[in-house]
Amino acid sequence: MSWVFANISMLAHLTGQNAYLALVPVLIGLVISVPLGIVCARWSWLYSPVLSITSVLYALPALALFVVLIAYTGLTDTTVMIPLTVYTLAVLFPSVVDGLRSVPEPVRQAAVAMGFGTWRRLAFVELPIATPVVIAGLRIATVSSISLVSVGELIGIGGLGYLFEDGQQRDFTTEIVTGIVLIIVLALVADTVLVLARRWLTPWQRGAGGDSRLPILRATLRGRPGAGLT
Amino acid sequence: MITFESVTKRYPGGTVAVDELDLEVPAGQTMVLVGPSGCGKTTSLRMINRMVDPSSGRILIDGKDIQQSNPAILRRGIGYVIQQAGLFPHRTIVDNIATVPLLTGWTKQKARERARELMDLVGLDAQMARRYPHQLSGGQQQRVGVARALAADPPVLLMDEPFSAVDPIVRASLQDELLRLQAELHKTVVLVTHDIEEAIKVGDQVAIFRPGGKLVQVDTPQRLLAAPIDSYVEDFLGFDRGIRRLSFLAADTLDLDVDAIVGQDATAAAALAKARKAGAHWLLVIDSERLPLGWIAAGELDSTPADTRLADVPLTSDHGHTFRADTDSLRAALDATVLSTTGQAVSVDDHGRVVGVTSYDRLRAAIQKADDAARQAAAAAAGGVPAA
Repeated sequence: MSWVFANISMLAHLTGQNAYLALVPVLIGLVISVPLGIVCARWSWLYSPVLSITSVLYALPALALFVVLIAYTGLTDTTVMIPLTVYTLAVLFPSVVDGLRSVPEPVRQAAVAMGFGTWRRLAFVELPIATPVVIAGLRIATVSSISLVSVGELIGIGGLGYLFEDGQQRDFTTEIVTGIVLIIVLALVADTVLVLARRWLTPWQRGAGGDSRLPILRATLRGRPGAGLT
Repeated sequence: MITFESVTKRYPGGTVAVDELDLEVPAGQTMVLVGPSGCGKTTSLRMINRMVDPSSGRILIDGKDIQQSNPAILRRGIGYVIQQAGLFPHRTIVDNIATVPLLTGWTKQKARERARELMDLVGLDAQMARRYPHQLSGGQQQRVGVARALAADPPVLLMDEPFSAVDPIVRASLQDELLRLQAELHKTVVLVTHDIEEAIKVGDQVAIFRPGGKLVQVDTPQRLLAAPIDSYVEDFLGFDRGIRRLSFLAADTLDLDVDAIVGQDATAAAALAKARKAGAHWLLVIDSERLPLGWIAAGELDSTPADTRLADVPLTSDHGHTFRADTDSLRAALDATVLSTTGQAVSVDDHGRVVGVTSYDRLRAAIQKADDAARQAAAAAAGGVPAA
């Protein structure tokens, strides 16, 4: 415990770095997934091939990606964030398509019949109704991204992953346990923020039986993504 | 007015959903399209707001070809109600109803004000305004669906199986509600259903389709029941159409019997004489206010001392169900007659006072008279040429 207090500023720095390395890819993944999902929901024949591509990317081992990327992006944050973005995309893209497909057919028909054009229908009817499913995907993507950052330690940029590497070399369990605890805390905080965001964005879902399971438990049940293990 | 001119919808692969449809929906009337599944009724409906475009032929609204209109703009002027209501789950009731006004550029405040007016019009409690659709019952949701369709006050209202997802009691009340609204608003309504009872209840005119997208007959419910064009229509109308059509014939054409009625102060002898003169087996006994008391059999008066007042003679049976000849239909008169133990039914006025008595023979004569009148009217409409 005294080790933790002695190194508090280093731990804060590593936690911040971990959050940064995890969340920027999630954000980029979201920005790519939404338009991609819209396109694949509209022209549904595209969905299957695009899903195959994202699934294959998801199966690529992070280490292999690092090896390839270092040649272009060097030992930088970007090299860590690109694989994480790819993994986010693989989780989030099907959520966007599922979300858009969750719009009940009578609702879609009613929107067309009332004179919504394609874009207005998307913005005011389909995307809002898809929001709960998209946020569910976002929660899984965020939690896994936070835990996957440690893999970056392979090239020396791994946020809290540094504690595992360092702890192992020094045979110092406290450091490893601290790393695990901080990653879990970070994941819980991020997940809570997303749950609150969902409540705020989807007021119609209140009292309609939302997902009340513990965030971490939920991620575990859905199969926590492990880089290169899929 | 909505006009279909030789409209055909053929899908790739050759399936014909609608085959050479010619149909006119007069302004302010309710036209019901009815038929089994796959008869093209829904496709026909959806061609009116261009959810489906015809392969050939034209559809005109008030003389204007809808093919020349921008679909989104066209649709904002046509109310649309669908089976599951299709409410937006993420919007409150008031915002659901305000949808089209908001789309056409009303301010939020004005649109919501209008939405609240409509909630009142379709019989929804104002407290529901801030709720979400999933918090309402199926019947309430369907009312919201109707209110939403009416929000921008469109002249045309399309309804696709609007009441088929709710239970029979709620369905009946929604149908009554539609009739009440229509009497007030006079929209041009096209309603699709597979339920012939519903068609006959709510339609000013009913168009019957057969599988393959062929329109078989268009007529008022009354004429449809009286004169189905072929055995398909006849089967579709069901076995008791003869009785159902009586709903459309007014009972005021009945020639009521006023001779077989006797006051309770009359003597048995006087009553018997009256019965013999009228050739009646039954006499209706009334009190001094002309309210009906019950029936007495002429045969029983034979064995009654001549000077006994009828008030002291036990009645053979009670007067049974009454009907109103001035406001009811022949169906109500027939029903009262069938239920009566004497085979005769009592017609009363608005104070329950006896006007006269009807029998099967008198009902038959009234039906005959109505049919003759209808035949003459049809012949006159056909240019005075009598039907062969």
